[in-house]
Amino acid sequence: MSNNEYDVVIVGAGCAGPAAAKKAAELGLKVILFEKSQVPGEKNVSGTCLNGAALVDPDLHYLMEGPVEREIREMRTYHINKDRTTVFHEIPSEGLLLLSIRRDHYDAWHVEEAKKAGAEVRLSTTILDIIEEDGYVKGVVTDTGEKFYGKVVIDAAGVNSIVGRKAGLIPKRKGTNMILYVTVCVELGEEVINERFGDCIEYYLSPGIQHKTWPWIFPKKDTVTLGTGGYMDENLLNDEFPNINKYMENYLNLPAVKKKLEGGKIVAWGLHLEYDEKIKQRVKNGLILTGEAGGFVIPFLGEGMVEAYFTGIYAAQAAANAIETNDFSKEKLAETYETLISENLFMQTFRHIAAVNKEAILTKTDEEITQMMQQVIMGGGFISNAVHTNWMNGVEDQDMERIQDAYDFLELMKPYAQVDPYFENLYNERKRK
Amino acid sequence: MKFEIKVEYYPGDTGEFIKVIEENCTGCGDCAKFCTRDVWQPDGAIYRPVNLKDCVECGACWNVCEFDAVIFNEPKGGTGVRFEYG
Ligand SMILES: Cc1cc2nc3c(=O)[nH]c(=O)nc-3n(C[C@H](O)[C@H](O)[C@H](O)COP(=O)(O)OP(=O)(O)OC[C@H]3O[C@@H](n4cnc5c(N)ncnc54)[C@H](O)[C@@H]3O)c2cc1C
Ligand code: SF4
Ligand code: SF4
Repeated sequence: MSNNEYDVVIVGAGCAGPAAAKKAAELGLKVILFEKSQVPGEKNVSGTCLNGAALVDPDLHYLMEGPVEREIREMRTYHINKDRTTVFHEIPSEGLLLLSIRRDHYDAWHVEEAKKAGAEVRLSTTILDIIEEDGYVKGVVTDTGEKFYGKVVIDAAGVNSIVGRKAGLIPKRKGTNMILYVTVCVELGEEVINERFGDCIEYYLSPGIQHKTWPWIFPKKDTVTLGTGGYMDENLLNDEFPNINKYMENYLNLPAVKKKLEGGKIVAWGLHLEYDEKIKQRVKNGLILTGEAGGFVIPFLGEGMVEAYFTGIYAAQAAANAIETNDFSKEKLAETYETLISENLFMQTFRHIAAVNKEAILTKTDEEITQMMQQVIMGGGFISNAVHTNWMNGVEDQDMERIQDAYDFLELMKPYAQVDPYFENLYNERKRK
Repeated sequence: MKFEIKVEYYPGDTGEFIKVIEENCTGCGDCAKFCTRDVWQPDGAIYRPVNLKDCVECGACWNVCEFDAVIFNEPKGGTGVRFEYG
């Protein structure tokens, strides 16, 4: 192989990219990873909490060794309207739920892990085009015009990936498929956060602070991140909300939130798109789309990083199998890739929960959503809403099958609805000293 | 708390990574409406990405333009927006 020829070329060092690079290197492949930013995690990637229900998968155990900001054990939801504030406190069970991280630190660590495994990494290098020959994607072109060839190209360049766009797989999206998110990071100091948030993430629902999403506050070590936004449909922006920042402004000024942030200062602002739909076709001859580039994200559940890790790893495995048989056709790539995805119970169950909840959210007013969540949140929030909705619809339509479905799903979800001490034990063994 | 936009940029020339295709642009203004950073400004009958140095590379303008009038590329390696804290 000459200098610019690789087994696998990977674009994007967010979540999926380093995971794919590390796996591919471990499988003995010659691999190069490109990232446009100077420090991985500093472009608009966002995302802060890693879900323990996914990290217990052996493929992801190593991620517990990364730099963690805060261990999350509880969840609080506030419903605030003119008349009253209702607070729901959800602790699915005693134990560790999520790991709160800072992407600039965490992604940078992850890239180092990929390097240690043998991957070559080029930072500050933007990929601007793909090389296609004889119906196959054969490589990529950098912003300086340099060409790099790979038997398989893995697209891990996120929501607007230019790789997937050039390959004709990523379309333009808006309406109820795309969410525009604004975030701010508020510095409060570790002690204040311990006092006001502790190990708890918070969700808020109140008129004027969101458009069919779920505003949140995720505590890190000495900062907290707030996020809100909405589906990019015709009702997102209007005279009252000329701009997405207006939702954030109202959010910051909710009395309950204001009090929690008292004395703090905004140290960063962010703006992100998040896709909420499957990308129809995720492989092409010589190319695999992973993570958010492949539509593997569930914005409504704040879930996308772990899906990106899984799909990055699976793409590396698919590339290895293709290389072994010297067959880089989309059929060959899909064979391994789609099988591994369909066998991942975490991804399948969370997709189901998200689909049911999205349907509910899109068809109801914010007020109705508040009411709906009040009925179900005590039993476990989004998970029980998925069960509850099926169940109630079944009762309404006298459809025993839907009720049975709901029941079966509840059984299937059991391991995820409660937090197994297994995650906490694993994490304690693995975490940095 | 007073809302504030605090955003950092890497030094260096990003290049003209967002452009308008003049003959496709109908002047509908959707790009400007969805751009949180006021990059897109009216210029006669069309819109142009004028304040590109304020762009945060979110891609909203490209996604919402129904007339394929937005060229949305990437800034040169190591330049453009930088979100500390990720
Ligand atoms: C506000 C918000 C909050 C979220 N919170 C959570 C959460 O709490 N938990 C969770 O699991 N998920 C969360 N998500 C989702 C999560 O952030 C994404 O699903 C995840 O980052 C996707 O990972 P990825 O590797 O596919 O893409 P990204 O993380 O977006 O990484 C893509 C990388 O590719 C690089 N890149 C892009 N184009 C090029 C190019 N042309 N050349 C070179 N490099 C390029 C980028 O700089 C970037 O580093 C959140 C998302 C948002 C918007
Ligand atoms: S959205 Fe497209 S067509 Fe409309 S003004 Fe902007 S560039 Fe022109
Ligand atoms: S990418 Fe985002 S910030 Fe940049 S011009 Fe387009 S809409 Fe505005």
